[in-house]
Amino acid sequence: MGIEWERIIELWPEIQVAFYQTLIMIGISLGVALVIGLPLGILLFVTDRGLFWENRPVNSVIGFVVNIVRSIPFIILLVALIPLTQLITGTTIGPVAASVSLSVAAIPFFARIVETALRDIDKGVIEAAIAVGATPWMIIKDVLLPEAKASLIQGITLTVISLIAYSAMAGVVGGGGIGDLAIRFGYYRYDNTIMIVTVVILIVLVQLIQQAGDFTAKKLDKR
Amino acid sequence: MIQIEQLSKTYQTKHGTVKGVDDVTLEVKTGEIFGIVGYSGAGKSSLIRCINLLERPTSGTVKVGGQDLTKLRGDGLRKARLKIGMIFQHFYLISQKTVAENISFALRAAGTPSKNIGPRVDELLEMVGLSDKRGVYPAQLSGGQKQRVGIARALANDPAVLLCDEATSALDPNTTLSILRLLKDINRKLNITIVLITHEMNVVKEICDRMAVMQSGRVIEEGRVYDIFADPKTALTKEFISSVVSFNVPEEILKKCDGTIVKVLFKGEVAGDGIISDMLQSYPVKGNFLHGAIEYIQELPLGIFVMELKGSQTDVSQAIHYLEQREAIVEVIDHGN
Repeated sequence: MGIEWERIIELWPEIQVAFYQTLIMIGISLGVALVIGLPLGILLFVTDRGLFWENRPVNSVIGFVVNIVRSIPFIILLVALIPLTQLITGTTIGPVAASVSLSVAAIPFFARIVETALRDIDKGVIEAAIAVGATPWMIIKDVLLPEAKASLIQGITLTVISLIAYSAMAGVVGGGGIGDLAIRFGYYRYDNTIMIVTVVILIVLVQLIQQAGDFTAKKLDKR
Repeated sequence: MIQIEQLSKTYQTKHGTVKGVDDVTLEVKTGEIFGIVGYSGAGKSSLIRCINLLERPTSGTVKVGGQDLTKLRGDGLRKARLKIGMIFQHFYLISQKTVAENISFALRAAGTPSKNIGPRVDELLEMVGLSDKRGVYPAQLSGGQKQRVGIARALANDPAVLLCDEATSALDPNTTLSILRLLKDINRKLNITIVLITHEMNVVKEICDRMAVMQSGRVIEEGRVYDIFADPKTALTKEFISSVVSFNVPEEILKKCDGTIVKVLFKGEVAGDGIISDMLQSYPVKGNFLHGAIEYIQELPLGIFVMELKGSQTDVSQAIHYLEQREAIVEVIDHGN
């Protein structure tokens, strides 16, 4: 189980490429999750009972779709979405192609995180804003998002880390990335050196992201 | 200013329907401070929240400035709320925004041009005495200061009405007093109609002109604060009053008395007069003070004395009759032996 340093040097270019691929996958899918998941999560919250855009049908439909996507195992989603991936990216292999499935998985995941974060806001603060005569848009922009800021940042951290774990499976459709490298070399070929190196890279990456998330959340919270 | 007519609010719970507010009709006049007193669960919070339709009444109407709010929805209701300020027991400031941002939030809701926002925020902060806290976050403020920010936010758009939902219940007695003074000041200076709900009778005694007492969703007593203090009709009201003005003579003392024990109440101008000494001179009755004080309610004196009257039955009842002629309210507590 010893580490062969020559092996690391030999495969270093490949590790670099894999790292870069991981960043692409996380970057794209996180971006999509933020752009679509955030409004979706807000919608889930404000259409719920007793809130200012209360709308049972809309709330149920979104909640139902979110639950469906979240219940499908990621590896199945990955394969099932190959036609969609082809349609959007024009290819089914590579990190950009894998980002399609990752995004689809990340949207409902993040939407639920946003909804939960908003639920933690004291209802009284929202009510005070309603009493002041604020528009729904103002309440979202100036009350909901600022008040949930710290937990939203924690939620983004959680999403990124989950995406790193998911992206390891992207190798199934040729997505590449660090996790894929660990599986291909370390798991299938019993290359302990590569496995240990890639796992260490992943551990360091996750630690850094978690710490950065915690730090930012704490820094921005005015409570 | 505010007309509440036959307002009811029922809630559906797991255990059936609960009447929060039960057929309440009230009128609050322009410029007055109106207090609604009751224990928790009496429905006063539901009632005040129905005034700006934070809760939609199940039936009945709420008119503010002549406009029937129950007919409004969406943007119309939002615009009507700009003219009804509200402050809360737990302040409910946006914790992630500074004091100035919390106030400007209200101004932006009314569509105030951005060049006017800064000066108006300064003006409001000066009014509530927090000019030095402009850029501070709520977490760094004391309870009283948070409530002052709440007041500034509520007054931002020059409302005609200010609703206070247990606004001083989370504050210590000294802070309570300073907030009440501020509210009274605002009421006098800006002629804002204030409706407040509270379970603390001293709040009502301190600043309210008129009051209502609520129990199980209903208004059981209503009138001028002074009149209600002088002559409470219901047991609950008496209980509330005794929490601030207590004239209970210890049992031990009462046992030792063998004369007629009376509680004598003097209202307004007559409170300071020597009516009692006149009585003692005019009738062969001996008077013995057991308890007494002059309370000031809205600067009007209210004299309350508990005394023992000794003499023949006829003389005592004549003396009591004399007091009543002189506009005192006499309540016989014990007829004696």
